[in-house]
Amino acid sequence: MSTSNLNTSTLNSSTPNSSTPSRRGTAAGIGPGPSFFRVLNSEFIKFRTLTSTLILLACTLLVMVGFGALTGWGTGAFAEEAMRDPEAAAAMAAQGGDLAITVPTSGIAFAQLILGSLGVLLMSSEFTTGMARSTFAAVPKRLPAFAAKLIVVLVASFLLTAVSSFLAGLVALPILDSYDLKLDLASSQSVKLLLVSSIYVAAVAAIGLALGSIIRNSAGGIMSLVGLFFVAPIALEIIQGDVAKEIRKYLPGNTVSPMTAVNHEPGTLEVWQAALVLGAWVVVPVVLAVLLLKKRDV
Amino acid sequence: MIEAKGLTKIYGDKTAVDAVSFTVEAGRVTGFLGPNGAGKSTTMRMIMGLDRPTSGSVTVNGVPFAKHVAPLREIGSLLDAKAVHTGRTAYNHLLAMAATHSIPRKRVNEVIEMTGLSDVAKKKVKGFSLGMGQRLGIAAALLGDPQTVILDEPVNGLDPEGVVWVRNLAKYLAAEGRTVFLSSHLMSEMAVTADHLIVIGRGRIIADAPIQQIINGKGQSRARVRTDQPEHLMNILAGDGVSIQVQEPELLEVTGLDPRRIARIALENRVMIYELTPLQASLEEAYMELTKDEVEYHSLITSGAPAPVQAGGN
Repeated sequence: MSTSNLNTSTLNSSTPNSSTPSRRGTAAGIGPGPSFFRVLNSEFIKFRTLTSTLILLACTLLVMVGFGALTGWGTGAFAEEAMRDPEAAAAMAAQGGDLAITVPTSGIAFAQLILGSLGVLLMSSEFTTGMARSTFAAVPKRLPAFAAKLIVVLVASFLLTAVSSFLAGLVALPILDSYDLKLDLASSQSVKLLLVSSIYVAAVAAIGLALGSIIRNSAGGIMSLVGLFFVAPIALEIIQGDVAKEIRKYLPGNTVSPMTAVNHEPGTLEVWQAALVLGAWVVVPVVLAVLLLKKRDV
Repeated sequence: MIEAKGLTKIYGDKTAVDAVSFTVEAGRVTGFLGPNGAGKSTTMRMIMGLDRPTSGSVTVNGVPFAKHVAPLREIGSLLDAKAVHTGRTAYNHLLAMAATHSIPRKRVNEVIEMTGLSDVAKKKVKGFSLGMGQRLGIAAALLGDPQTVILDEPVNGLDPEGVVWVRNLAKYLAAEGRTVFLSSHLMSEMAVTADHLIVIGRGRIIADAPIQQIINGKGQSRARVRTDQPEHLMNILAGDGVSIQVQEPELLEVTGLDPRRIARIALENRVMIYELTPLQASLEEAYMELTKDEVEYHSLITSGAPAPVQAGGN
């Protein structure tokens, strides 16, 4: 701390417009305040200046691409095995060669966990570190800061999932090719899978953000997320009976396959129903988070 | 100007701030003094709109904090804990805060330079000492060049050089006509920094007066008296509200009578006095006495000695 001296000249030079305090005191004319665009810019700066955030993003990319390659190889090996059995080969041919279609998005189960946790952390860390005091002193209406964070996490999760799915597809192509399996990344089904998966992961991140804001604790928020996406489906699988089966359909994690199915399977949600269910899973926690954020002390 | 009216904050069954009313004027340094847990930080958080008052209201320049068009340009604050994500660098922290109000990078660099953080600005806050954290908090408070500056325990963890720096900064800002409101539990610090003092204890305002008045005013006047007839003098001075301590065989400390009256009584009774020194209470003593009153609900301090150390704790 050798440079800690503040002499008067530094002070003078650094506060040139403050010599007329009388003109101040009214809200008008003292410079711009926190418009939504500025808050969004601030939240984006906060997002990109944390190493831990960047590491989580890199991990997502790595896992997605890695799983793409692994699944490509696994699918190829499976197909090769199946070819030796004429009956299985006939069944596969009947399916229309779509075996490899889910390869690019095969890592989303992990992407949702990482990006969902990132969503939790973005908000919970505000409270655990005390940053919230700075954030909400700058944006005392609170809602714009939360909305800006929501937009940042939605866009970042969507783009990252889309890009890493596409990269996973590119990496898997030569592997699939060596097994004589075809994958057209530009086909409408591929594009649909990529878009729905990306929207889904963005939704999970938004749910994470809301949980982080409600619970204000990183471990608690992430555990709730894991409970909702990993524990609840398994628990409901174990519990026998129609009620459990019915509830399972409405879990957020089970909305992806109805939305991406080529043909509607009986006993599952329609596309629009699945979209509404996923939407509700986002809207309800987000609204609750906003109400609590407005009401509670920071 | 900060105006609190009947400001109250109740956590569960604990009243942290109890119907507090005060005004912090522009152009002077107002100290907010009180023991730990007296309600200083809670009051400041309510001013900043971070905690909602249970009842009452507080305005800054006539407007509640959250209603200001550009809050950071109106009020800068350093609140007690490090209000920073420690994984971010000091520069990026300030940059993100500045972005909310379109405060230019130039100003970010200025406050970094002002607070002496240039060497560490690109380092993560994680490795900062308490003093560096305080400097970063002060840098953030000054970012918007605000008319009102609220600093909660700004000298905590600062080295002596830093303490002097904060003191000069507070005085400088006040001299510019700004409202400066800083809290401390260090009376000695307040004595040299503040012009006006608001003393809080157990969530209530105990005193709100110019610092000189607090030192002189509420504390009873004391005088050191040397005489060769101490016992006789003690008898003639004795009376309501007067207490006398024998400190040395010929040295008395008289509380509750001003020196002029002591001299007159001595003269009338033909007792020779060879020293009569008015004793000015230190702010510390005045403060101890104030908080002792608060703690013990106005029981009389009869010993006349400086209030016991345990008063004002907690």
